[in-house]
Amino acid sequence: MRLAFILSEIGSGLRRNLSMVISVILVTFISLTFVGAAGLLQLQINQMKGYWYDRVQVAVFLCVENSTSPSCAAGPVTEEQRDTIRGMLESETFTPYVASVEYESQDEALGHFQDQFANSPIVDSVTADQLPESFRVNLVDPEKYEVINEAFSSLPGVDVVSDQRELLEKVFSVMNRASLGALLVAGVMTVCAILLIATTIRLSAFSRRRETGIMRLVGASKAVIQLPFILEGVIAAVVGALLASGALWGMSRFVIGGWLAREYPETAFISDQQVLLLVPALILLGALLAGVSSLLTLRRYVKV
Amino acid sequence: MIRFENVTKVYDAKSRPALDSVSLEVDRSEFVFLVGASGSGKSTFIRLVLKEDSASRGAVYVAGQNVANIPSWRVPRLRRGIGVVFQDFRLLPNKTVFANVAFAMQVIGKSRAVIRETVPEVLKTVGLEGKNNRMPHELSGGEQQRVAIARAIVNRPGILLADEPTGNLDPTTSMGIMKVLDRINSNGTTVVMATHDDDIVNTMRKRVVELRNGAVVRDDAQGIYIGETEAVAE
Ligand SMILES: Nc1ncnc2c1ncn2[C@@H]1O[C@H](COP(=O)(O)OP(=O)(O)O)[C@@H](O)[C@H]1O
Ligand SMILES: [Mg+2]
Repeated sequence: MRLAFILSEIGSGLRRNLSMVISVILVTFISLTFVGAAGLLQLQINQMKGYWYDRVQVAVFLCVENSTSPSCAAGPVTEEQRDTIRGMLESETFTPYVASVEYESQDEALGHFQDQFANSPIVDSVTADQLPESFRVNLVDPEKYEVINEAFSSLPGVDVVSDQRELLEKVFSVMNRASLGALLVAGVMTVCAILLIATTIRLSAFSRRRETGIMRLVGASKAVIQLPFILEGVIAAVVGALLASGALWGMSRFVIGGWLAREYPETAFISDQQVLLLVPALILLGALLAGVSSLLTLRRYVKV
Repeated sequence: MIRFENVTKVYDAKSRPALDSVSLEVDRSEFVFLVGASGSGKSTFIRLVLKEDSASRGAVYVAGQNVANIPSWRVPRLRRGIGVVFQDFRLLPNKTVFANVAFAMQVIGKSRAVIRETVPEVLKTVGLEGKNNRMPHELSGGEQQRVAIARAIVNRPGILLADEPTGNLDPTTSMGIMKVLDRINSNGTTVVMATHDDDIVNTMRKRVVELRNGAVVRDDAQGIYIGETEAVAE
């Protein structure tokens, strides 16, 4: 009986304050979408880290015809130079740093290049002799890039030593900043949501002051008096959270899965299943937001 | 049933106390008129019994319990034992007579079956048979007050507090309300009624406690209402 009663109170409360309830839904929707977007970016960063950190290497590029660095003054790398470099990489001096070494010839480089830019017209204008051959070095500790750089970058026949991890770090730092930005927007929107929920409950409490006054007098418990208000806010916020989850899922499925994944087949993107992991967190956050803000409001506006 | 021991209530330190060292005992099943001019402290007395406010000094006992010692989460239980009616009825305008009375049972978790059985009985007690489905605005003032009384007693409280229940009603209608209250009292419910309606007090011949500026100035068994000229605030 009491449950049915509380439910019917909630129903009439939601109907009575429909426009406010809709604004609460929309504001929590927006704020949680930004929270979720920040979450997605973090998931994506982790995903890429996991995928790339095993694969990124230090690349020791060897001289080609038109390399410009001083160590390439003598022209393209010679057989002898190449053997020296390989020998050094595999020597005992470097075993503490080097996990494995792989050689990539000019033909293999062209193959990778063609894969990567399959849709681009530049593919046809590039030939194997324009691309440098290289040693792909996996480090035991990726942080120790400098050791390799110092030892090899000025060696005859070496054009440049490049730390691909550093490039990735740049990408990650951009993504981290974007996710921080999203969190900032989310923070502002969350403040809006809290204030709006508080206002909604105040209005709702005002429009139902006769009922609550009578409830107090006839000895209704605090829970029965306050629960409808709290649940009203929570229900609106949870609807907002569900909308946000839907939006994020749509984004991951159609923007990330449908478009980005097609454009950048090399990159490991998060899947829409991973996005679904965010849903319970968003719902919980929405409910908590509404619950806390309504509890604080009720303490002032609904006497018990 | 209700005992005040040297109760003083100060709302505002700058003005005189609303109740000034009031000591009073109301026994089980008694009917007491609380009379006095407007501002003499009648409503404050009622608020203190309900623990809507707490005494500044002294102790208020309801059913043997000092209300100051009731923790806030137990206050609803105290109020379930007390019915209240007011001058302005306080009905829910969008609910029928039946629903208004049923509301008081719903909010304390009574089952649908019990509500269906009890509400018509209580409506009969207050003389509103057959008006179950009327809306409050379709009723006369006297009928609306009967609905309010039905709501106040539907959970069978031991005490009924009435704060000027006839204040908005004409004399004939008021006498009808008094008959209802008298009937409720004779069923064993303690009734405290605040009023400044001299006709009613003089007709009923019940115990009269007179307040003046917050102090009890008279407590007569089977008393009468003494002219308001003496009770004007100083
Ligand atoms: N909530 C309140 N805040 C401040 N003063 C109040 C409050 N309620 C009543 N009073 C004052 O207390 C005194 C007694 O009021 P009340 O108990 O309402 O008298 P009555 O019901 O006999 O008219 C009056 O002087 C009134 O102004
Ligand atoms: Mg009064």
